[in-house]
This record gives sequence, C-alpha cells and structure tokens, in this order.
Amino acid sequence: MAILTLDQVSFRYPNGTNAVDRISMSFQAGEKAAIIGQNGAGKTTAVKLMNGLLKPSSGTVTVDGWDTKEHTTAQISSKVGYVFQNPDDQLFHETIYEEVAFSTRHLNVDAAEAKKITDTALELTGLTEYATLHPYSLPYSMRKFVTIAAVIAMQSKVMILDEPTAGQDGRSLERLTRITDYLTGIGKTVITITHDMTYVANHFERVIVMANGHVLSDSTAKEIFWQPALMQESYIQAPPVSQLASALHWPGRIVTVDEFVEYGSGQVLERKDSM
Amino acid sequence: MKKSILDLYPTTKLLGVLFVFISILIVPGYAYQYAILPICMVIALLAGVLQSFCSLFFKGVTLIVLFIFIIQGFFYPGETVLWSGWIFSLKLEGLNYSLLLTSKIVAITASIILFFQITKTKDLIIALEKMGTPKKVTYVIMSTLQIIPQMRKQLNVIMDAQRSRGVETEGSLMIRAKAIVPVLGTLIISSFENTQERVITLESRAFTTQRKKTNVTVLPKGPLDTIVRIVLLLLLVLIIWKGVIG
Amino acid sequence: MSLLSMKNVSYRYPINNWKSLKQVTLNIEAGVFYAVIGAGGAGKTTLCSVFRGFIPHFYHGELEGEVQLFGKNLLQYELADIAARIGYLFQNPFTQISGAKETVFEEIAYGLENLGVEPAEIRKKVEDVIALLKLEKIAESNPTELSGGQKQRVAFASVIVMDPEVIIIDEPTSQLDPQGTEEIFRIIDLMKQRGKTIILVEHKMEWIAEFADRIIVMEDGQVVMQGDTQSILSNPKVMEHGGTLPQYAEVGLKLLGEEGIHQVPITRKQGELVFSKLQKGGAE
Repeated sequence: MAILTLDQVSFRYPNGTNAVDRISMSFQAGEKAAIIGQNGAGKTTAVKLMNGLLKPSSGTVTVDGWDTKEHTTAQISSKVGYVFQNPDDQLFHETIYEEVAFSTRHLNVDAAEAKKITDTALELTGLTEYATLHPYSLPYSMRKFVTIAAVIAMQSKVMILDEPTAGQDGRSLERLTRITDYLTGIGKTVITITHDMTYVANHFERVIVMANGHVLSDSTAKEIFWQPALMQESYIQAPPVSQLASALHWPGRIVTVDEFVEYGSGQVLERKDSM
Repeated sequence: MKKSILDLYPTTKLLGVLFVFISILIVPGYAYQYAILPICMVIALLAGVLQSFCSLFFKGVTLIVLFIFIIQGFFYPGETVLWSGWIFSLKLEGLNYSLLLTSKIVAITASIILFFQITKTKDLIIALEKMGTPKKVTYVIMSTLQIIPQMRKQLNVIMDAQRSRGVETEGSLMIRAKAIVPVLGTLIISSFENTQERVITLESRAFTTQRKKTNVTVLPKGPLDTIVRIVLLLLLVLIIWKGVIG
Repeated sequence: MSLLSMKNVSYRYPINNWKSLKQVTLNIEAGVFYAVIGAGGAGKTTLCSVFRGFIPHFYHGELEGEVQLFGKNLLQYELADIAARIGYLFQNPFTQISGAKETVFEEIAYGLENLGVEPAEIRKKVEDVIALLKLEKIAESNPTELSGGQKQRVAFASVIVMDPEVIIIDEPTSQLDPQGTEEIFRIIDLMKQRGKTIILVEHKMEWIAEFADRIIVMEDGQVVMQGDTQSILSNPKVMEHGGTLPQYAEVGLKLLGEEGIHQVPITRKQGELVFSKLQKGGAE
C-alpha cells in the first residue's frame, strides 16, 4: 500500500504557467527517493503538492488514504513534513529547543514524551549542545539542521527535504545520510530534492528526474547517470566518477567511488593474470 | 497626453501637491477644496491611472468622510437643527464644519494618491538625490516602500511554513486571526533580523563612499515642466493675492 | 609582494567565547586564484570577513595580529575605501539584494552609482555583465521577487560589475544547479584571466581542482595546509582535516600503487590519462 501517490497531477499557477503537467509517482513506507532536475523543473512545486501547500489543478494527490484536496495543509502536515529550501522562512522561536519542541504541540502526547521526541530530534541533527541558543546565532548551514530537527519532531510518515545538501560540508552530508537512514529505518518515507549528484549516487536507490514540469525518469542512479540523452534533456550531470568511467569506456555503469575502484583493481588483476 | 503627464519631472509633480496644500488653506469655503477631487480624477484619466486612483481613493477616504459627517453633524455645538431623531439632532453648524474639514481631507488625499499614481518611486528618489537629499534618507524611503510588498510576500511564506507545521490557517476569520497574530511579531523581526547582512550588502556596493552618487537612469526635464511650474506659481500668486486683498 | 596579508592573526566574535581564527599567517599574491576549503565552522567565512575589512570595522570583537591590504594596515582604512578595490559575496543569497532598487538592471548598477561612475559607462558595464551572466530574461524583474538561485547570480553580477582588484566569494553556488554552477566557475576563471585576485570558499572540489591555482585548508580557526592545487588536492591529509577531495583523487588514492598508477589525478582529464593505463591490454 503506497503511503503517498500522485496520480496524473497538474498544477497551474495563477499566471497560467504549468508548473507540473500530469505527473505520477508513488512511494511506499520506509522508502527513500531523490528528486533531481534543473532549477525551475517543477521539483518544489511537486513536493508542495505532496504536503498540500498546493492543491492540484487536476489529478489527485493521496497521502495515507487522504485526498489532499479534502484537507487543509495543517491537517496534512501531520502526515507529511516539509523542510523548506530557505531555513530562515521556518524559524520563529527564541531558542532552538523551542523551535523543535513546537512540532510536538500537535502530537497529543504528554510533556515527558514531547521532551523525549524533541531531544531525539536534536541529537540526530547534532544540535543538542546548541539547544539553548537563538537559531540565528548559528551559521546558515546549521540553521538548516534546526528546521530538519523541527520536522523530524513532527513524526510525520513522510518527510520532504528541499535541498538539504546546499552549502553543506562533508561531515554535514554524512549526518544527513545518518538522519535519512534512521528515518527510513523506523518506517518513514524520505524524499529529498538535491543538486548534489555524488550524494544521490552514493545514497539513493530510487531517483526521479524532472524537467519542464514532467517526470522524465523514475529509476535508479545506475540507469539515469548512464543515459546521456536523458541527462542532456534534463540538464543534469553525472557524478564525476561516472563521467570519468564513461570517458574511459569502462563497462558496468559505475556511479560510486567504490565501484570505480573495484573495476579498476579488477582490471589490474586481470592484467596480472594475463601476463 | 498620458506620456507627458507621466514624464513630468517628479519635483514638478511634488510642487503640484504643495500647491494644493497651500491653496486649500488660503481659499475660503469648501467648494474649491472639493473641486480638487474631480480635477485629480481628470488628470488621472488623462494619465491612464483613473481606475487605480479611484479604487485607492474611495476605499480609503469614504469611510473617514462618512464618519466625520456623522460625528460632527450630531455633536458639533450649534443651534440650527435640521433633523431630529431619538436623542440625536443633526445641526447645520455641524454639517458646515464637516464640509470644511472633509473637503480639505479630500483635497489632500486626492493629490497625494494622484502623486504616487503618476510618479515612479525610483524617479522620485533620483530627483530627491539630485536636490541633495542624503543617500541614507533616500535608501530608507526606497527600502521601506519595498518592504511592504516584501513583507506581504514574506507573510505568505511564513503562513505556508506555519501550515506545514500544523498550525491551522484556513477557515473562519477567527482561525485565520489566531494563526496570523503570533506570526506578525516574527515577521517584523525577521524583516529586520537580516538587517546586519543587508548592511554588509550595502557596504559591498560602496554605499558609504563619500563620492557623489550618479544615476544610471537619466530623468529629463522637459519644456512642459517649466510651463506647469510657471502656471502653478501664477495660480498660487493669484490665490494669495485674492486671499490677502479679499 | 603580497597584495593582502595576515600575520599571526587571531579573532574572537563579540558573542562567542572561543576564537574563530587562531594565529593565522597568510599571504595573498596578486592575480592568483585561491580556494579556501575545510569543514563548516573552520573559520573560512571569518577569514574572508577579515580580508574585506568587515572584521573589525563592522563586527568589532577582538582582532589580534597584523592585517595588511595593498600595503597598508587594515586598521588605517575606512570601510568605504575598500569597497571599490575588494568585491565581496557572502553565503546567504537571500540577503544580498540591496533593497534600494526595483529592477535587476538597476540593482547591478547600484554599486557603480555609489562610486560616482558616469551613467553612460554604467549602462555599458551593466549590459556587459548581464550578457556575461545571461540575466537578460530577468533584467527588468524586481530583485526581491527572484528565486534563491537567481538572487545569487544577480548578487554575483552586482559585485563583478564594480571591477574590483580582489574578489572574495563565499559559496556562490550553494543554491545553483550544476549548469548554474558551471557558469559561475567559468566566469570566476574569466575574472582571473583578467588579472583579478580571487579568494573563493567552496565545497565543490571537482570545480576547484579545475580552476584554482592554490588551496588553503582550514580547520578549527587555523590554516593547516596550503599549497598549489595539484599537491593539496591529491593529498589524503585533506580529509583528515575535515575537507574533501575531488572524486578523481579519491579513486586515484585508492588505486595508487596498483600497476601503472603512480599519480593521483585531480581532474577528469588527468583521470583519463592516468586510468587509461588500466585498460585491459592498455599501454604497456
């Protein structure tokens, strides 16, 4: 049973432009997926349709059995949490702790449970030691983690992260991976919009490519990063190792460092064998 | 015609507003003052902004005018009763006073609204700078004017963020009010929270340099400007003369 | 002769009780493209702020050591005098729109207006930059209504149009897609070819490997490694200090020592040369 489905969904902005045109996709519980594509391809529109901020002009978005057209965004937020692209749009409280704890308000739990949920979210995002600080005392890249913690604390079944990788260093990307794995491990669905193709290739089985408001491909990294025509049409670039492997005419559709190294050392062994 | 009006130098238009301000205080009665409204509407029509002028003017002023008439009409001290009902009596003196007061309000509001309808803010800024207004003042004017639509947009974004966090914003007025009010404080704060970074941005654009600022947009002063200014001056002299001489 | 230099510079922000820069000594030479890399919080942004003079003139706090810009001590400068010579782009794109102008064209022109440049010249320069950054479609749009990525490009344009000698850029591509990122890097390279000195903070290592001349690695407020791009970006120690290497170097390091692999490539071209030797029946 899919937890989230988009069925032939279109959305038209008031000025007439079709931001997305008859897109369909569905997600299971515990699944993680990356949505990639050029700026303006319709990725953010698609995810806003998923959390009910936008209602489809045609087609249906179903979240855990609910048709989004029949519920308010606030109601849907209990099922779909959305981390905005700009963290500053989502920060309202005096301290990081309060910001995260705010999410527990709508959860119908007692104070002790709420604290536990808040503390867990803070720990996952590495913010425990900063809990008493004002969100704006942290740099931009860390404020992103505050909003991620706040959405984790909402305990929604689906979590959408809009460009969590932007401006993050290697350690933060590792933390992001741990967060994603933890969430999918407890049965949550995680959908990530990102421009970091290396990150996508390293961590996602399922990759959805969007361009011009359409879904061009809903497949795996191995498939997508080895289809030149698709990548050209959607203006995406493969991870550097894939580009290199392609230039070397290596077989096997390599998308990660490990795969590259495996093939490379395999070649050496083969040569040694044949000598 | 439309272009000529819109192309008038901003200070010329400002002089027009100033003219109205001064003349309505000198000319006795209320007929002249009220007449400013149709004159503004004609100019608005010629400039192609009649619709927005009317919608702004009537939305803003109608209620105030009505309010004044009622209050002053019934409570201004006077003897001549025109109509009476229950414990209230509408007096001539009150009505007269209302006419005098509201006519001035109408004239002032009409000229100001018209001014902003036919003058681009950026042109005004350029004109002010040319007159020697310090950069800091014009920046405050410009960015404050930009802040309002920005804040409105930011309010929408914040409301989206609130909704996404489970705060109900859709439904009755009560529900919406409950959602917006706590956020207003944050909105104001976040608009200024970024102030420090914005100051750096300005700094990076050489805002604090002592050199004389130029403008990439060149505002021409045409012959029509001179004509309009002379006409306004003559009218003002005429009015003052009549007002003083009697 | 150094264009900009720091000698034993330490700095503490007013609200912190730890130092963001610790005994940093650094020389920036004219016409060189420096990339500053390292984990978040390492002090990269602080370094940029000092070189631009925002520390201490704007941020106050405690600054120790000696900072020289163009041969003169930083403390002897008025902040305004630096603006024309050192361009600065910081991380957050959403606050880099001045708010003083209603169109992108005017926004880009703003810095030149403040510098008192003649209108005709301003017009030409702005048009050139708009063409360079392909901003024609949004030239008449209100900068406050643009997306994050568009704002980033407009801010970038607004700084390079002022033609400063030094350009300090703090993560200019964080909001951009790969195509947008490529454009920015190519333009930065163009600036370098025009003789500008560049200090760039970035995480996208493959691009840095392609264009930067020298790398400065920072960790915990200190400069822990510095040198030419080739030697630094092929050095595994970078990762120990919290930085990352280009993927080409990562695979190169893992395959180093294998038959035929004696070099760690840092760019794709180098990778092709180095790894083609691994082809079955490849060059013996």
